[in-house]
Amino acid sequence: MTAAAATTGASTPHSDGDRLLDVRNMQTRFHVMDGVVPAVDGVSFTLDRGRTLGIVGESGSGKSVTALTIMRLLDIPPAEIGAGSEAWFDGRDLLALSESEMRKVRGKDIAMIFQEPLTSLNPVFTVGAQIAEQVQTHLHVRAREAWSRVVEMLRLVGIPSPERRAKQYPHELSGGMRQRVMIAMALSCEPKLLIADEPTTALDVTVQAQILELLKTIQQRTGSALIMITHDLGVIAETVDDVIVMYAGQVVEQGSVADVLLEPRMPYTMGLIESIPTVEKRGGRLSAISGVVPSPFHLPPACRFEPRCPYAWDTCRDRMPDLSVTRDAERHARCHLHVAGAASRLEAAVSQHRQNMRVGRQLTDSV
Amino acid sequence: MTQNVEHQPPVPPAEITDTVPSAAEDYEVGLKSLNQWQLAWRKFRRHHLALIGLGVIATMIATAIVGPILMPFEFTTIPLPDEIVYAGRPPSLQHVMGETGGLQRDVFELVVNGARTSLLIGFSSMAIGVFIGTILGSVAGFVGGVVDNVLMRLVDIMLSLPILFVILVASRFFGNGSVGLVIIIFGAFSWMGTSRLVRSQFLSIREREFVEAARAVGVRDRRIIFRHILPNAFSPIVVAASLIVAGNIISEAFVSFLGFGVNPTSPTWGNILSNALTFIPLGNWWWPLFPGLAIILTVLAVNFIGDGLRDAFDPRSRA
Amino acid sequence: MMKFVTRRVLQAIPVLLGVTVVVYAILLAAPGGPEAKFAQNPRITQAQKDSFRKAWGLDQPIPIQYGRWMGILNPSGEGLGVLIGPAGLPNFLPTPLSGATNGVLHGDFGYSIDSGEPVSNRIIRAALPTFILAGTALVLWIVVAIVLGVYAAIHRYSLFDQGATVFAYVGYAMPTFWLGIMLIFAFSGPGLNILPAGGMTETRISPPFGSPEYWVYFGSNTPQALGDIAKHLVLPVITLVVVNIAGDSRFVRASMLESLGQDYVRTARAKGLPARTVNFKHALRNALLPVVTNIGLEIPFLFTGAIVTETIFSWPGIGKLTIDATRDFDYPILMGVLLVTSVMVVLANLLADILYGVIDPRIKY
Repeated sequence: MTAAAATTGASTPHSDGDRLLDVRNMQTRFHVMDGVVPAVDGVSFTLDRGRTLGIVGESGSGKSVTALTIMRLLDIPPAEIGAGSEAWFDGRDLLALSESEMRKVRGKDIAMIFQEPLTSLNPVFTVGAQIAEQVQTHLHVRAREAWSRVVEMLRLVGIPSPERRAKQYPHELSGGMRQRVMIAMALSCEPKLLIADEPTTALDVTVQAQILELLKTIQQRTGSALIMITHDLGVIAETVDDVIVMYAGQVVEQGSVADVLLEPRMPYTMGLIESIPTVEKRGGRLSAISGVVPSPFHLPPACRFEPRCPYAWDTCRDRMPDLSVTRDAERHARCHLHVAGAASRLEAAVSQHRQNMRVGRQLTDSV
Repeated sequence: MTQNVEHQPPVPPAEITDTVPSAAEDYEVGLKSLNQWQLAWRKFRRHHLALIGLGVIATMIATAIVGPILMPFEFTTIPLPDEIVYAGRPPSLQHVMGETGGLQRDVFELVVNGARTSLLIGFSSMAIGVFIGTILGSVAGFVGGVVDNVLMRLVDIMLSLPILFVILVASRFFGNGSVGLVIIIFGAFSWMGTSRLVRSQFLSIREREFVEAARAVGVRDRRIIFRHILPNAFSPIVVAASLIVAGNIISEAFVSFLGFGVNPTSPTWGNILSNALTFIPLGNWWWPLFPGLAIILTVLAVNFIGDGLRDAFDPRSRA
Repeated sequence: MMKFVTRRVLQAIPVLLGVTVVVYAILLAAPGGPEAKFAQNPRITQAQKDSFRKAWGLDQPIPIQYGRWMGILNPSGEGLGVLIGPAGLPNFLPTPLSGATNGVLHGDFGYSIDSGEPVSNRIIRAALPTFILAGTALVLWIVVAIVLGVYAAIHRYSLFDQGATVFAYVGYAMPTFWLGIMLIFAFSGPGLNILPAGGMTETRISPPFGSPEYWVYFGSNTPQALGDIAKHLVLPVITLVVVNIAGDSRFVRASMLESLGQDYVRTARAKGLPARTVNFKHALRNALLPVVTNIGLEIPFLFTGAIVTETIFSWPGIGKLTIDATRDFDYPILMGVLLVTSVMVVLANLLADILYGVIDPRIKY
């Protein structure tokens, strides 16, 4: 079973060896002035030790909120976590822990890296002090030991002359350097799970590649599991084993990264992949998914992607599709194309997708 | 206060008074100002405290105008109470705010008559201050160069002086107890903030396209100032003006309280308080209480209106 | 850093000079002038008036008068020699160099018309009570405003927060002197006479504050004397701080809320730090940056407020000195006090700027 397989069926909630994280039916809502926003709506997934999982989706799809819910970093209120939501981590339901127990998990067992390294680091403390603070909190070591750990971590993430850099303030470092500091901080207590929320979005393109490379090598070296949250399929392709695709607060497709990217089984995923500009598609027309992401206050009654879906038919307007096993084993997609009786429609969609992807290549080839 | 060229300390949003209007709003003002006013009024209406404040101020002004006619105060006519009590009497049905000690005047009557003077001074001195500030700020902003430099250093100097103290001294030296002089003195020391606001508006708008365009088609400077720049400066000025009114009402009460302001025999809120002070050993708390509450109520109302105006004119707030 | 301080000090000099000119102008423009006291006195002869004018230098042109008052000009010099001090160097230089002792620059603010004492003596004597009052108020003000504001921000929209909001609005709208009067009625009136209504010491047992006898008394009865002052401080200090606390607790709250919403606070929580550390180390440290500046700029108004408070509570400080001098047209004292307070405003601004750079590592000079 791959790490990202859905936990349909009643398996025991206890950790069974390799299982690190088991999120079940997570629901997170925000109470705002104009109503209630269902930001995460029944998300379930699992992650095994040492594996990497990508969560991909447009902004507002609920991918960051999923991570913040696992970390219990949302303010309640305005946020509300639905009854029945579970997030089993190493045999414990994080959502049921007391705040003080949860605090021991944060930064120690699960660490998080955020999008904007400049604002995510406190401007009035040196970067070394900010890392040392975390080390001292969780590892209960003396200041001197904490400091040598800081230097060691900064060296690990490839910061030159780490002793000097540790004594500098965030504004004195470059963007890439700051993100390395964030990574060093996250890894300082050897977490079992590292969550990276758009870690490269705010960085220059050349630096992006370095940071991804760093995350990958360090993840392999330390053996921690990694959740990579991004809107960038390129990042997903390069860094993760498995992937889940989110749309309007729901998981719409999941599987191994190769399967999902090469053989998408849900029209939204197909659209996402088709809209990536590639060298192959040069000269061709870039396709974009038509329409806009639905407002969280006015979600379509049935399939949430139906208004934008080129293959939608009556069923899609009547009933919300389940996240079900597709014909290919170990693949899940939330789409009526996979029910028995829609086989011809699925066939048409898949071949249309192949067609769309090939058009670009043919155009390139003909040049 | 010298301006610091190195950095501007960040100011939390709640304290920002001079909001720089967005470009979109600038154009709206110049072309169809009616829409901006409608928009501002719509936003202002949603600010409940500001609406209450507006109601309170309207009531106060009505009282200040009509009240003294219904309940005239004569310095020479001393009331004849049904019972002579030197310490005065606490609030009762006949005298809802009680009676003063000594002459046993009705405190309510004093407060109503005081409203006329205090509000008149607060609003008129604000008008003078805003007028001077607008002119000086316009000159500094439009002429620029040496003139600008001299005027702004003057503002720095004036802001370095303890203004309440200066007003106190000026009231003592030049005042003769007349309301008019008090208004002029307070107005003469209330212009600094406004001049800075107006100047900054000039500097930010002077180089904008629509002013350039107006100049290019031969519109005269005066017209540019009155048609294009000042309307843009209007909203921060109005907000600043509300603060001036509140500040001057309190300061005037204090100056009169010390006996340097309006003639002690005429009823202003400060004078009522001043007279009450000597009766402290007799414990007639109602005497200073009600004029003080009148001041608080007025200042609160004006501050709320200021808050409402700030939100109403803030292009970032939603209609 | 040194360069920045030097430049800011240099920038402050023209403003300070301007202040002296404006102060001089205001008092010059006043009707009557120093002679006003004698104007109506029939027993003062014209010769006496003239000698008074000459003694005061009132027979000189205004720029000369100003120059002498400032200490730029030597009052005994002739022609261009007025610029040179007794020691042969320019008169405006410090006393050890120029030998000059006259004028504001050399600490000479003239003599009180009322008592004939040097103005500087009067001001120095009045300064101690004011510093006791304002200093106590300052500490209380900063502590309470920060505690109120931070607590309200952390428990946003709670009952406490709403209560603090009402207090802030009302407190901010409240005239200081009225609060003082009401406090006197409440705590020193016939009803609940538990605190002194005015003064700095209990006159029946203690000599007047500041007199030589007082210090003898203070030396032999230190605990009682301190307790006595503390008791007299309660009402004036409350009167003085309420407005400032009202305004600044809002400011602190807004700043703290802004800080709490920042990414680095989320990072601090994600690191597993206790809520206390997140709030009081990471958020508060940043929230205090603008607060420090704001308080620096407001300190001078504490002294303006002290004028008001001292008058009501008969506190023998600068405020009372000012009001008495205003009442008596005591020009030299008024000029001295105006100048000293203005210098303090300029210095407070300077200090706030420098302090801001010290506590915020992002500021580079």
